[in-house]
Amino acid sequence: MTDQELDRRLAQAVSHTAPNDLDTILSRCGAQNGSVMEMKELDNQNIIEMQPVKPGRKLRPWLAAACAALVLLGAGGGGLVYQQSYAVASVVSLDINPSIELKVNRGERVISCTALNTEAAAVLFDMNGGADLKGTKVDVAVNAIVGALVREGYMDSISSAILISVEDKDQERAARLQAELVASVDGVLKTQAPGTSVLSQVLDANAPATEYMAFDSGLSAGKAALVRKVMEMNGTIATNSTTAFDQLAALSVEELNDLLETGETRIPIGKSAAAMAVETYAGTSALNSTTTDVDPELDENPPHYEVELKTAWGEFDYMVDAFTGEVLSGPKDVLNIRADTPVTPDPALTTPDTTPPAENNVWQNPGNADVVSGTAIDQETAKKAALDHAGLTESQVTNWKIERDWDDSRLEYEIEFWCGTAEYDYTIDGYSCAVLKHEVDHHQEHDAPHHGGTGAGTATPSGDIGAGTATPSGDIGAAAAKAAALAHAGVTESQTSKMKVEQDWDDGRLEYEVEFDVGRTEYEYTIDGVTGAILEYEQDID
Amino acid sequence: MLAALSVQTTEEEARRRGELEQLLLRTGQGDREAFARLYGLTRDGVYALALSLLHDAHEAQDIAQDTFVKVWESAPAYRPQGSPMAWLLTVARNLARTRLRQGGRQVGLDEEAWNAIPAAAPDVSPEDRQLLQEALARLSPEERQIVLLHAAAGLKHRETAQLLELPLSTVLSKYHRGLKKLKALMKGEDHP
Repeated sequence: MTDQELDRRLAQAVSHTAPNDLDTILSRCGAQNGSVMEMKELDNQNIIEMQPVKPGRKLRPWLAAACAALVLLGAGGGGLVYQQSYAVASVVSLDINPSIELKVNRGERVISCTALNTEAAAVLFDMNGGADLKGTKVDVAVNAIVGALVREGYMDSISSAILISVEDKDQERAARLQAELVASVDGVLKTQAPGTSVLSQVLDANAPATEYMAFDSGLSAGKAALVRKVMEMNGTIATNSTTAFDQLAALSVEELNDLLETGETRIPIGKSAAAMAVETYAGTSALNSTTTDVDPELDENPPHYEVELKTAWGEFDYMVDAFTGEVLSGPKDVLNIRADTPVTPDPALTTPDTTPPAENNVWQNPGNADVVSGTAIDQETAKKAALDHAGLTESQVTNWKIERDWDDSRLEYEIEFWCGTAEYDYTIDGYSCAVLKHEVDHHQEHDAPHHGGTGAGTATPSGDIGAGTATPSGDIGAAAAKAAALAHAGVTESQTSKMKVEQDWDDGRLEYEVEFDVGRTEYEYTIDGVTGAILEYEQDID
Repeated sequence: MLAALSVQTTEEEARRRGELEQLLLRTGQGDREAFARLYGLTRDGVYALALSLLHDAHEAQDIAQDTFVKVWESAPAYRPQGSPMAWLLTVARNLARTRLRQGGRQVGLDEEAWNAIPAAAPDVSPEDRQLLQEALARLSPEERQIVLLHAAAGLKHRETAQLLELPLSTVLSKYHRGLKKLKALMKGEDHP
């Protein structure tokens, strides 16, 4: 069976099972947001709503004609009010990667707010797709949008950039509005995302339309102008290159700004391609659980993308050449690294998780991992195995999540549940019922290293091993940290290999990372550097 | 209907996209006939996404209904943005996520919910029923969403990557991995 045939069959199966609820839906459909009042009061309002996304030249003569027609048709004094209230005076666009466009009247109130791409639609979702911003002052609307962009994580990077563009026939008014908005946004970002650059520009609505804009309906006039500036700088404007336009339009404002600032004439590969290059290089393309964060550093030498690869067993940092896509640094084939040696990502390259809840991570011995034959167990059996292991009954736990998964051709059950403030994660072998992995995260009780009262009989041991050696304000030292880990593992140092002890600071807390192997079993401990308590440990079998 | 989406030519895709854009714009003007047509063309994709996120046939049906009511209400504010289907699915995704948050759960999955999906549909062949069942039960959550979004909603991989906020490479690899698993299951290689 080909992929297309399989797709067709799936689509057919969905089509036959999807309920047809049209009548029910129609019975629930009442007034439409933001349109009823205008449609009743102004016959032409719906025509205004139908304006094409692209602002500017094509719009304004048409709009002027619509307004003139309204006056001629006897709307009387209302026509003037209409022109003042609904006529577009300025078009403000906000671009990061989401692109949002606000049409503003002469009173600086928002007539419409439009998401120009899918990312922007998600940002505006809580504002009723932007409809809630209608009628508000433009600076209030812009601040609301910027707040949403910050919440959605678009300004997490220290070098993020937002572009504010104001397009208007009246350049003086545009410049005034631009200054107001930049000052307002800058004030918001100083507290919420201090690393973000605020770029701004004024566009002349009388200027000839850029022919490239027709190629991408999801592009704001502001970003199109920025792209055009880059094309003028790198010479592609002369060749009328739509390819160059498309490639540049796909970049973020931060990347475009970096190109302008550095005078770089080559076109970088983009964040998606950089992430793809890393996943291929690291050999994690086929994994379910990996994610990437990409930060462009086009103003550094060499220009590159910083890519953080997050996997189930660690985070790895990479540098990717911004133009060739070559991976310049970072571990290759991380799956093999994991199989051959304990995971020891270069501390200098690894970004620690700075906001973890208090947690104990326990990775259980999978027992005979070679058991892959036999009859697959059902979900209930897997669930019972996890409960038995945790020493809990079904009535004590909530928020079940059970999923079947195939890992290296082996059936596994991924099971999650909560007991009080403790979150349990299990991986159960789908044939032998063995507990392959076990992890407990204690939320809220930040300093409680052990199970919070409900976990009698769980595999999570008391975490106060070594506490007796602690000096309240001092450093227990590497030797004591190592001893605490060895004692917990129930082995002597002579039984171990690849012993590694490192001092570390996490959120201002002194810690020791202790790693060693015993046979095929890898142990990793995080020991509190003052109390000697075991903050976290993992045990995994190759 | 949507079954042919995956083999559309580029020209057909453009035509279809244009049709959805027009239907959405007409819906925004209060045209119920256009809305009904829009529903007929897109309900499979919306339902498939809701099902893959919620894992429950009844909740998926609720969210699909809520999605179209929301689309009706919000259509006046809709502006052409390249992919009307992606816009619809973004609405569905957000509603499903809100439902999950309100329910205080990540995913409530049990065998009964899976089994309930095709039972009420008389014209579903046993083979189709089994295929959907396998797709829902055997694929990982992301594989399931990616495969169904491509097959039932006709999304391109790049659009799926945007909707699910995943790298394109991840979407591509999971799509192929998901199809490979399904093929193996259909060949009876249940437990390789």
